[in-house]
Amino acid sequence: MNKYDVIIAGGGAVGAACAYFLSRDTDLKIALVDIKKAGNASRASAGGLWAIGESVGLGCGVIFFKTLSKLHSEAQGEEIPTMRPHQLPDCFFEFALKSNAMYPELYEELRNKHSVDFKFERTGLKFIMYNREDELYADQIVSGIPHLRDQIRWLDAKQLKEEEPFVTPDAIGAIDFICDHQVNPYRLVESYTEAARQNGVELFLNTEIQQVLREGKRVVGIQTASGELRCDTLVNATGAWANSLFKQATGRDMPVYPVKGQIVLSERMPKIMNGCISTSDCYIAQKDNGEILIGSSTEEKGFDTTNSLDKIQELSRGAMKCLPILNESNIKRCWAGLRPGTPDELPILGKVPGVEGYLNACGHFRTGILTSAITGKLITELVTEQPTSIDLTPFSVARFFDEPA
Amino acid sequence: MEKSNPVVIVGGGPSGTAAAALLGKYRIPSIIIDEAPKIGGVIYRGPLRKTATLPHLDDNLQRAMSALRRRYENYKSFIELKLQTRVLGPEGKQSLLLNEGGGLTTQKYDELILATGCHERSIPFPGWQLPGVMLLGGVQLQIKSGLVKPGTKMALVGTGPLLPLVACQLHKAGVNVIGVYEASAFNKLAKEAVALLNKPKLTLSGLSMMSYLKKHQIPFYYGYGVVNAQGDAHLERVTVAPYDQYWRADLSQAKSIEVDAIGVGYGFVARTQLAMLLGLEHTYTKVSGYIPVLSSEFESNQTKTYVVGDSTGLLGADAAICEGQIAALNIVKQRGILSATEAKKEQAKIARKHARIKRFRFGFDRFSERQSGLLELAQDDTVVCRCEQATKRQLEQAISEGVKDLTTLKMRTRIGMGDCQGKTCSSFALDLLHQAGHNKDTGVIKPRFPLDPIPFTFMEESLNEQV
Repeated sequence: MNKYDVIIAGGGAVGAACAYFLSRDTDLKIALVDIKKAGNASRASAGGLWAIGESVGLGCGVIFFKTLSKLHSEAQGEEIPTMRPHQLPDCFFEFALKSNAMYPELYEELRNKHSVDFKFERTGLKFIMYNREDELYADQIVSGIPHLRDQIRWLDAKQLKEEEPFVTPDAIGAIDFICDHQVNPYRLVESYTEAARQNGVELFLNTEIQQVLREGKRVVGIQTASGELRCDTLVNATGAWANSLFKQATGRDMPVYPVKGQIVLSERMPKIMNGCISTSDCYIAQKDNGEILIGSSTEEKGFDTTNSLDKIQELSRGAMKCLPILNESNIKRCWAGLRPGTPDELPILGKVPGVEGYLNACGHFRTGILTSAITGKLITELVTEQPTSIDLTPFSVARFFDEPA
Repeated sequence: MEKSNPVVIVGGGPSGTAAAALLGKYRIPSIIIDEAPKIGGVIYRGPLRKTATLPHLDDNLQRAMSALRRRYENYKSFIELKLQTRVLGPEGKQSLLLNEGGGLTTQKYDELILATGCHERSIPFPGWQLPGVMLLGGVQLQIKSGLVKPGTKMALVGTGPLLPLVACQLHKAGVNVIGVYEASAFNKLAKEAVALLNKPKLTLSGLSMMSYLKKHQIPFYYGYGVVNAQGDAHLERVTVAPYDQYWRADLSQAKSIEVDAIGVGYGFVARTQLAMLLGLEHTYTKVSGYIPVLSSEFESNQTKTYVVGDSTGLLGADAAICEGQIAALNIVKQRGILSATEAKKEQAKIARKHARIKRFRFGFDRFSERQSGLLELAQDDTVVCRCEQATKRQLEQAISEGVKDLTTLKMRTRIGMGDCQGKTCSSFALDLLHQAGHNKDTGVIKPRFPLDPIPFTFMEESLNEQV
């Protein structure tokens, strides 16, 4: 029988990061078990490391917020209310910023020690303003994060034109988050996975987990199509599917559910963007091979991953408004991914009260790529019973339970 | 008469047109959507410009072309053609998004027949991307539809009955055909004599082609194939060598021949991108790649969605016509126009013909079964995926590092991420994975919406819905 110290369920960015950090920092025997499912978020991701941008509700956040406000006002028959930034709590800032700070070193480490390259690019993230409302919105963002002043630059129309000459002349300026960058998301997953493999992690790819094995309150392994795998600790990094595994491991439900995001991709273009961009209509990132990626809708439609023309039109129009040169290009590909959403938009990490041999590493919603690094580190700290780099109390699944099990 | 929704047929080749005509016979309207300016499919479309005669095309082909035309003409009051129209994918439920006349439209359907045909299997070897190196069907299309000579001095390499046919057509069109190289040995064909007798006429016409080649001193080599192609900016020379039973080239006997074009024909792959995007269940076959799982009436696992013709597996135009008719009869039955017994009787007649063609065809499939030597033609630095410039070395390295499925291979090497969505490279990549022993859950390069690029400017206009 195969016995491991740790089995990681789920080979997306989070699971692969856990495998990498555990294999780098310990001598434990580790297995990574993954099955490809339609809508895997890591493969669908844009690859933004937008630590501040996402924390203050830019990226997909602002787009969704704008849509909601509009729907709300239509329902009420009122004017569209002024948008207010949807800022996440301080614990999330710490989580996101600490993870973001790990990437420059991680990039060199993976390249030098493992010959893998996840295409880390220092881009910044610019919030483009078209009018007075956008400016007010930007003002509110900035005043909400006084401790991060040094990470923000204000650009007027002329400076923006110099830095991003292809952005529409209608833009009146931008704020730039200078520490927000980008990677190639699936290269990141592959890099973690390959480095973990080189460190001795056993990969069970294309392997469906049929059942979690328990003995009393302890999780002792998993049953897969290719046999039983036993372990001391099972890490649940199964993204939008995490509740199913959780339920088998603990007998309870946790609120992790799929939140669909549609993406539009252009053909390869010459380099027309120096940094990543968010507007209130969409975010736009030019990837390392020249394709321009436009995201993303926020839809709760279960595990459906079909594309719909209305969302593709909205995103495309938003991108064309910002970058008129897209009028000369084609949409090459669209797809949809399933973010693992939670009610408070915070991940669910760590131990579960009353259950042994099991750790959550899920609910990363929009920021699994960005926060994969810190998650890998935290899980390693938990497995080796060290103090954790950040306080995990706000991220415990217990926050959703009225009473202990 | 109550209002009757048209059956939507994607593809106006032999099977799509046959289905439409049969539906028309029972006064059921249909809409044929086809990307070309004419119906007929690549095989029977004919010239795209007006021409009085086609002296280089044989009588059989001309007869088949006019038969297809006649089937359409007889029932054209029931058939609406949407030509030069491309299906981009599904849009919502029971509706297709189309690029029609330079804008987006949708087409709703209750009953859908997919007759999307096949595309050529691309085999990478050193020099395969040189101008002048063409796939065999493409060569044939240039003479049949383009009315241009693909080259002046040509060789053909590959396997199967298309080789002698195209050689004859090229010769009649005035091309100097200096050699035809069939990968399999002659004795392997002789073993299939019984199977070939299922279609005696076709076998005879094959024999007459061989004697035509002989008469015009066009050498036909069995057990021979391509090794590489060379030239600076354009093809100048091709190296051929004897193949053993596994199609491994014997380089000690390789010879170089001067040519300005070659046709490479190692088979076809079912064109299933739309069927996959619609979510139809598929299964893998060695001859045709992935094919949809169908009932004996060619209905898929989604009710009222049918797949017919070469997109269900490669059997050729005659079988495709049968399949279109069988599927159409099922619709006629379900609409209550024919009783179950009547429909069954009609279907059985066609099914018998279909079975004969199948037995004949399977003989050739066994003769032409792709051998592992083909995978060795590509060298380490040979580009396999030309959209993303992925080389054979990159693929093999990823596989040696534990990649067992196409999706992971795509994430590692970018194969299939380009404009063609893997039509060119994925068959070869699958063969590589299979050879490495990964036969289970190897997966597919999942087709993505849209199947064809859409200009961003189309997104500014609102959609014109058609019921």
